[in-house]
Amino acid sequence: MVLNGWIVFEAGSRPSGFLTPEPASPASTRPFFFEEVVNPDSPYAMSHVASICELPDGRLAATWYAGTREGAGDVAIYLSTRAFGDTRWSAPRAIVTRESAARDLNRYVKKVGNAVIFADGAGRLSLLYVTVSIGGWSGSSLNLTSSADGGATWTPGQRLTLSPFFNLAELVKNAPSALIYGQWAVPIYHELVSTFPEVLWLEETQDGVRASKTRVSAGWFGYQPALTPLGLNAALAVLRNDDTAKTVSIARTDDGGKTWSTPHSLDLPNPDAGLGAIRLSDGRLLLAFNDSKTGRENLRLALSTDEGQTWARIATVAEEPGADFSYPFLMQASNGDLHLVYTWKRAAIRHVVFNIPWLDGWRGRSSQ
Amino acid sequence: MSHTILVEVCSAICPWLGLVWCLLRAARFLKVPLRGWMLLAVTSAIAAAVILAPVQGLVVARWVAGLNANFSIPLTVMLALIVWEHLFEGSPFSEQEWTAALGFGAIGGLTLYPMALGLGSVDPYEWGWSISPLFIVIGVLTAWLIWRGNRFGFVLLLSAGAFQLRLLESTNYWDYLLDPIYSLVSLGWFAGRLATSTRSSLTKRSSKTLPRNISTI
Repeated sequence: MVLNGWIVFEAGSRPSGFLTPEPASPASTRPFFFEEVVNPDSPYAMSHVASICELPDGRLAATWYAGTREGAGDVAIYLSTRAFGDTRWSAPRAIVTRESAARDLNRYVKKVGNAVIFADGAGRLSLLYVTVSIGGWSGSSLNLTSSADGGATWTPGQRLTLSPFFNLAELVKNAPSALIYGQWAVPIYHELVSTFPEVLWLEETQDGVRASKTRVSAGWFGYQPALTPLGLNAALAVLRNDDTAKTVSIARTDDGGKTWSTPHSLDLPNPDAGLGAIRLSDGRLLLAFNDSKTGRENLRLALSTDEGQTWARIATVAEEPGADFSYPFLMQASNGDLHLVYTWKRAAIRHVVFNIPWLDGWRGRSSQ
Repeated sequence: MSHTILVEVCSAICPWLGLVWCLLRAARFLKVPLRGWMLLAVTSAIAAAVILAPVQGLVVARWVAGLNANFSIPLTVMLALIVWEHLFEGSPFSEQEWTAALGFGAIGGLTLYPMALGLGSVDPYEWGWSISPLFIVIGVLTAWLIWRGNRFGFVLLLSAGAFQLRLLESTNYWDYLLDPIYSLVSLGWFAGRLATSTRSSLTKRSSKTLPRNISTI
């Protein structure tokens, strides 16, 4: 009892308190929109699941995975960086391969998958990535590695145990939210018997990283959540949906992620495809999504001014019949610029930069 | 020894014990003329050699860790007890203690796995991260079992100690108490017992209803 009591005390409680973005001082009041390919010289047929973050010095870092096909043994997670004001991304460099993950984790790794990169205020990069030892994506486990030198070198990956059933079926797709005491809330999801969204709470301790998770919705509803903080204890989870309604759904917490509302459908379609959402520094919410119930042939932006209750379509980023534009990932830089990376026809990673005036200009045009 | 290596060693104990048990069964089947400590020494050495054998750059124990790196403490202790039983005849655990161990595995597994995998709105796995009723329930159960003289209570106490020392890769208390293999074995044992008792009660009932002259044939 005494020993158990001590454990109760030692285990502590999970992190809480969402950080919302500070109001940014815009770099320019003139609207601009710029698009480029991050990996134009990729030798591989497939590139997918991009993420992007900003380092304190203004550098951008982007990751994605590429290989001959999704799930192939030659798939690796690539990193490319772009200095502030530079016009070109650095040559992509594989930072996690099947072999390096097997070496780091000291176990068999069949393939690597989704990865999300994020940076803390001290400039340390962290990468949360999927490995599979057995089976398909349902056999996924999450691992964490970090870099203190802007991505040049990485610590050996650390396996996170997040599921009691052989630690299977935990994946990541969207950006973490920083918490007030330096911890992170990472939107993750489970897909084995059923799919459901979760929040992974990461906390740095003297003994290493402490990880725990909580569920966003009951089993069977939604996955690949995008977490958008609304306040210290309030946040929205915007969900990809694999049910017959084929709509984007949202769930809300007002107690720091302890409990969530029952997810409800929005008036926006979702063809069972990944989406990206962030809270802008002015308080509005921005969503990047496939505006269709049947396919991924377009990628649009929508804005909400009422904490996600209603959304207005404001811009089309990509559109081509029969094409595949997918897995958008949004980030707002400290100068207010908005960055969107997404999978372009499964062959390349595109990076789109635009600013708030451009966004507002579109809004004006679309409402006419 | 770094903590990482310690955790990797601990994850290898259960597969090693499982292999020792398989070797002991094989030795009995093949009528190997070794007994007691000598048989234990030989089977342990062979099992260790297999577990530490490198295959494509990884030792076998780490291949097993690719499938499951968190074997629970009760499963490990139960395997050690089974090995002991094989070698020295007579079980260190009484039938009541085995029932407690397997009952814990079955009830715990039914409580944890279906809901943690999404078959319910509550995720009991969350209770293993931090302050929760799980710690209190297990603490009370541990104290009660020890008070009743049931040595499975000491196994639960050992699990709490292993959790405190973080001897497994997991940092969730559930993984120190249960694993899917332990729970499946426990459920299988109870299912087997239920089937046996049902069969025997049916046999008794049918023999009672049969006419005397037929039942004596």
